[in-house]
Amino acid sequence: MTSVTQVTPYRSRTRFQHFTIQSAPLLLALIILAGMTGLYVGLFYRQLSRFPGNFELTSVVNTSMPLVFAAVGQSIVVLTRGLDLSVGGMIDLTNSLAATHMHAGAGSMLVWSLLVLLVGAAGGAINGVLVAYGRLQPILVTLATLSIYQGLAIKTLPAPGGSVPLEYTKILANPNDPTGLGFVALIVVIWLVFRRTRLGVDIFAIGNDEEAARAHGVRVRATKIGAYVLSGTFAAAGGLFLAATTTSGDATSGDVFVLTSIAAVVLGGISFFGGRGSAIGTVAGAFILTLLINVLFFASIDPLYQSFFQGLFLVVAILLGTLIRRLVGMRG
Amino acid sequence: MRALLDASFSADFGEVHALVGENGAGKSTMIKILSGLLRPDAGTLRVRGSQVDFRSPHVARALGVGTVFQELTLMPSLTVAENLFLRNEPQGRARLIRRRELAPRAREVFARLGINGIDPDELPPALSLAHRQVIEIARALLRDPEILFLDEPTSALAEQEVEWLFRLVRDLREQGKCVIFTSHRWGEVADLADRITIFRNGEHVATRRQLTEGEAVTLMTGRTIDRMYPERPPLAHDAPVVLEVRDLRGEQMKGISFALRRGEILGVGGLAGQGQRDLFMTLFGARKLAGGELRINGQAQRIRKPSDAIRLRMGIALVPEDRKTEGLMLPMSVRDNLTLAVLGRVAFGGVLKRSTEQAYVRRAIQRLHIRTTRPSVQEMATLSGGNQQKVLIGRWLLAESDILLFYDITRGVDVGTKHDIYELMMELVAEGKSLLFYSSETEEVARLCHRVLVMREGRVAAELTGPSTDAEAIVAASVREDAA
Amino acid sequence: MTAGAETITPEPRWRKLLASLTPDRRRVLYAFGAAALVFAVGELLHPGFGSTASIKAILVIASFVGFVAAGQTLVILVGGIDLSVPWVLNGAAILLVTSSLGRDGRAAQAVLLTLALGLLTGLVNGLGIAYLAVPAVVMTLGMNGIMEGLTLGVSKGLTCGSCASYAPKAVQDVVRSNVLGVPADLFLWLAVAAAMTFLLSATTFGRRIYAIGNNNTAAFLAGINVRLMTVVLYMLSGLFAALGGIVLVAYGGQATLGMGDPYLFQSIAAAVIGGVSILGGRGHYLGTLAGSITLVALVSVLLAENMPDWGRSVVYGGAILVILLAYGRERQQL
Repeated sequence: MTSVTQVTPYRSRTRFQHFTIQSAPLLLALIILAGMTGLYVGLFYRQLSRFPGNFELTSVVNTSMPLVFAAVGQSIVVLTRGLDLSVGGMIDLTNSLAATHMHAGAGSMLVWSLLVLLVGAAGGAINGVLVAYGRLQPILVTLATLSIYQGLAIKTLPAPGGSVPLEYTKILANPNDPTGLGFVALIVVIWLVFRRTRLGVDIFAIGNDEEAARAHGVRVRATKIGAYVLSGTFAAAGGLFLAATTTSGDATSGDVFVLTSIAAVVLGGISFFGGRGSAIGTVAGAFILTLLINVLFFASIDPLYQSFFQGLFLVVAILLGTLIRRLVGMRG
Repeated sequence: MRALLDASFSADFGEVHALVGENGAGKSTMIKILSGLLRPDAGTLRVRGSQVDFRSPHVARALGVGTVFQELTLMPSLTVAENLFLRNEPQGRARLIRRRELAPRAREVFARLGINGIDPDELPPALSLAHRQVIEIARALLRDPEILFLDEPTSALAEQEVEWLFRLVRDLREQGKCVIFTSHRWGEVADLADRITIFRNGEHVATRRQLTEGEAVTLMTGRTIDRMYPERPPLAHDAPVVLEVRDLRGEQMKGISFALRRGEILGVGGLAGQGQRDLFMTLFGARKLAGGELRINGQAQRIRKPSDAIRLRMGIALVPEDRKTEGLMLPMSVRDNLTLAVLGRVAFGGVLKRSTEQAYVRRAIQRLHIRTTRPSVQEMATLSGGNQQKVLIGRWLLAESDILLFYDITRGVDVGTKHDIYELMMELVAEGKSLLFYSSETEEVARLCHRVLVMREGRVAAELTGPSTDAEAIVAASVREDAA
Repeated sequence: MTAGAETITPEPRWRKLLASLTPDRRRVLYAFGAAALVFAVGELLHPGFGSTASIKAILVIASFVGFVAAGQTLVILVGGIDLSVPWVLNGAAILLVTSSLGRDGRAAQAVLLTLALGLLTGLVNGLGIAYLAVPAVVMTLGMNGIMEGLTLGVSKGLTCGSCASYAPKAVQDVVRSNVLGVPADLFLWLAVAAAMTFLLSATTFGRRIYAIGNNNTAAFLAGINVRLMTVVLYMLSGLFAALGGIVLVAYGGQATLGMGDPYLFQSIAAAVIGGVSILGGRGHYLGTLAGSITLVALVSVLLAENMPDWGRSVVYGGAILVILLAYGRERQQL
């Protein structure tokens, strides 16, 4: 039987080599995380003559959780070559809702958690429909909905206040032990499952080449809506964690997440051109950013300069990522 | 612009049907409609006698249609295995995809189809164009389609690979499937097809069981083959060399040398993806030269960016790789597109001089017979494909380029304008300009060029001159497996 | 004389004119129409809204958006975006007051220094985007953070000694004084508008901008230095953001923290309302100008309605979406 054989010789690679090359951005994120952790530990020791313990770990985890969720949601949208600037507004809104309405008692906590997640999903659906059916650019749509959600947040909670039941804080943002890591593990599992679902594969396909994906039967519009719904839901979860961590509400405390969620996505190695990357890297990115603040603190750097370092870090991280990609021969 | 005016044809199960026509005749549009990618403005589609509506590619697939498109659709960040099984993955519990099975299954599929040497964990950009084409074919076959469309499936395939494909197609016919394919190579069409349908300018012209090449060309172009292609101005013995390159090396060029003389049309042929595009882009300074020498009119030159090339009176007309855009700014006016390369000359101190610009524009329009009502206002997008190409060429005429690099400029162009472009090419060389010419239609290269360089794997595998240089000879030189 | 001959009713002139306009120019007209509509509605709801004094006041505030939006328009035209506007503006405002210390003698230097700051941040943005292939969103977002940190840090949270200075009187006069009954600031805006329109429509520089925005590969192949142009445009965006900061602080007297934040959304929205395509290659500054007026007029109407803060945000965002849906939709890609 006639067969098609190799005409041009090419370097053949082992499975392991392929994996390493294709996961290079993720590995870079993990390396940076390790580096940042080391830096933190070192500076901490230098300042306090002891190593960070359970309390510090718990604190880092709890502070990172809102960003982890917001950034994972952002990752999904960025994978479709889009952007969700409304996560800030959604976190404003959801943490305000939680602080205003949630009362002690399992019923209230459960019901309101679900309601809040539903609000996130609905907000995401609005974004998705406008992008997919309205054919509007994501950056414009989410800039507008950011404004809308911010407004709704202020309506819900005109001044910082409200309260979150103690039990809720204990579950989501346990002040004594780093049980938050359990949620991180949950996210990792969710991601691995997501990669194996129809929606997950379709999202990667759209990010690679939307037209080609359509030609292969991908329901582009429905998939895009799905991506934004997920982003909204994750942002809402982030808002819940924020409320739990701060034990109260603040209708503007979510604004900063617009920048930091994008920064975490970039650090995590997800390409802005879409179709490539792992949310596990984003999780690492979120932790890197939180540790960065601690590092700055223990290096006695004036906290007013925080944004400077965050911004600088963001730019350096993306340059590193591009460099690594070029080195292993992937296109930018 | 309508791509199809009144196109009808029918194909049977258990048949291999060829769709033939020039670039721009409507074959690809027809295939897109039949695959659910485009919706027809009017007309009916019937499968097995009952009317269907291919509302989306999804629906078409469900009804048993499989397609290998002309523009390859492999996802660059997904592995070969992931691409192969896209939307067709092995599923496990809870309909989750079994990722671990992707690579082994891919190997199985390749083995079953007789494909060797493709690593399922590799990413498409690392593979040759031929291999990517093979993977696309395998992917379409995986779904066991009842009706299979192949749009230019062999443009990048070498002899052995073409034989492999033919075998598969014949097997499908035995199984009672319907295979519809397009090709520019008459040999393949005659060899494989049970019936041949000819399109011209968006309309169905004929469907026959038997056809000679001459008859086919006449039907495809509406002219006899002699009148389609104009007389080539003879090349003077003592014509000086205007462009000489030695051992050019680049991303896909492994050492190319040739000389282009004044008044010559030098063709570049070979299978798709053998480095032709790299050659054109590098000559024009759009890609980095890794090594080699370039001389223009005897003087060594270094072309590092397009403005260097333009200064040296080179011009390039090509379609950028992004299939959605042309080498033109579609929303901008005809005038803006024409004067883009000579902005310095139609301005004084950076300020545009309308009168000078109008004069330039009028010159180009007259010279090329570009059909446009108000060039300063009319958007490029509203021009016909042929007129758009003329504007692209016009840009370089205005820049007074002496060396023109034409890369596949007749793609998507109707027959009438094609003829105009051929005549224009002859006029240009008669005036003393020199042309480097590449086309995906080998017939054009054979008929229009004084000489043809056949490229394979980044090198010039053969140089053909003389009266025996026809499409068959070029194809033969392109696919021959022995070392150049 | 054609007595008795049949006369064909000529098509109404305005319709012919409208048809002869390119879609881009039509959008500019719509944007002006939208502005007029908002004023009309405002007058209906609040008689006096459409008075000359009221219009002048709104135009002045719109000019602040207009200045920043000029730079934003330039980068959007080539398919980019500048998210660093808020803190470049803020930093510029603070730099102006601290380097001039309110003294007229130092006004000229202070203004030049401030504009130079804008150019510098734009340079960094442009280099990162054009030469290092950093996506515009990321680069300018990072730059915004950098400027925020630098501004807060160096000014010690705006508690430094000179931070409470006022803008020099000379500069204040440019913005606040009246010339022939019209605020001087509007003349400045007119000058900017004229310069922008001239640049975009009548120069080779402008032609190249549109070429890059439409098809940067083809522009490259036509000999245009796309990277250099990109850097220049981001520098201009930084310059205009700094100009916005100068004008704002001259108008308000003192610098505050966060004064630049609203201008990110507003500069982008003004451009989009004015028909500038976010994908690049299409639009005019006159549209952005109209868009700025529409936006600010809209806010004023809402304020006049005594709408609470939160309501304004919601209506704002909603109005933008409605306008986008009306004509901001991108053409279906072929």
